[in-house]
Amino acid sequence: MDASIFAIQPTSAEPIYRQIVEQLRRLIAGGQLASGELLPSVRDVAGFHAINPMTVSRAYGIAETEGLLERLRGKGMAVAAMHRGTQSQAHRLALLEAQLADVARHAQELELPAELVLRRLSKIMGGS
Amino acid sequence: MNAMLQPTIESTDAPLMVRGLAHSYEGGKVLTGVDLTLAPGTVLGLIGRNGAGKSTLIRAMLGLMQPLAGEARVFGEPALKLSDKVKERIAYVPQQPEALAWLSAEQMLDYVGRFYPRWDAAFAKAMLRKWDIAPNRLLAKLSPGERQRVDLIRALASQPELMVLDEPAAALDPVARRDLLREIALRAGDAGTTVLFSTHIVSDLERVASDIAFLHEGKLLLHCGVDETKERYARLWLPASMSAAAPAQVLSRHRHEDGSLSLVVERGAHGQWPEATGLPGARLDALGLEDLFVEIAG
Repeated sequence: MDASIFAIQPTSAEPIYRQIVEQLRRLIAGGQLASGELLPSVRDVAGFHAINPMTVSRAYGIAETEGLLERLRGKGMAVAAMHRGTQSQAHRLALLEAQLADVARHAQELELPAELVLRRLSKIMGGS
Repeated sequence: MNAMLQPTIESTDAPLMVRGLAHSYEGGKVLTGVDLTLAPGTVLGLIGRNGAGKSTLIRAMLGLMQPLAGEARVFGEPALKLSDKVKERIAYVPQQPEALAWLSAEQMLDYVGRFYPRWDAAFAKAMLRKWDIAPNRLLAKLSPGERQRVDLIRALASQPELMVLDEPAAALDPVARRDLLREIALRAGDAGTTVLFSTHIVSDLERVASDIAFLHEGKLLLHCGVDETKERYARLWLPASMSAAAPAQVLSRHRHEDGSLSLVVERGAHGQWPEATGLPGARLDALGLEDLFVEIAG
């Protein structure tokens, strides 16, 4: 994996360290990053995206505390081995919570009934 | 970050420190009571509108001019009387470099390189090529942008402990700007280089700065971590009917033509937003730094 796995939006209202943690959560939950896989070094990520290395270490540190990553001595950060258990459906659904709350708020502002929105959402998702 | 735990040591030996700085030109006040300290390893982005006093502040911090009032220190020494030992540790790139115009870019870099113990000649050579500077042209014949690029190369090649760049982005195209930001980021990480750069391009600052300072009408309005700034402030919009319930403590307040209000609000001690954010019709929007800057300085 190289530093291009992250997509950084410096102008976003969301701090860069949180963008990285959030993307790690998704990549790991979605299986794009497998257990044991090594992450690009802090320096590589900082150099590739021209961002402050402290921001990257902060993000990796948080992900380590959350149990997403583990530090391998002499090798750097890797996706935590025991993480498979947390890739449950409930866990993956939780990652959508913020977006769903946004949709719910917009729908209310537009005075759209939940039923209609849900029907549209299943259609977009390719369901019946 | 030991420096933060030991404020007394940090403030006496800090790479840059000013207290109560005030200055004016021809009756117009430029700086009014500015206090600012940079801890080692900080990358501080100084932002402000044109004429906010950024260049004056930078020059006073480095002792390149005598302010009307206040104290400025560089690595603990009075800025107006810096020893050669301290001068070797710092690099400053003004907006419009003028020195040594009778030399070519290559000659200038060879010449000044002798004064710096850690000069990286190979880097200087490679960067001249990368940034498209004809090594044999006289500096006087270069465009202002090229001239500043040569000066940025000089600053980086000297491997300073403290680098001060006044509007470095103005002279660079997007690719070269990214190169510069990368250099700043990696040096801060690898060597703990302290950097102060002024800019009006907020996205540059958001990439590499650890801290941000807003200078507005000669006053420092805000000085804190970039991440913290994004998490701590937001814009609260209140419809006209609710505007009487607006909180009194706000960073800025704009009343729109329809009577509605836009306010910049701050989280309380326990991370909570002001109560008014829960009023019917109220809307709370996260703010990027650029929006925050426009709200406060606009």
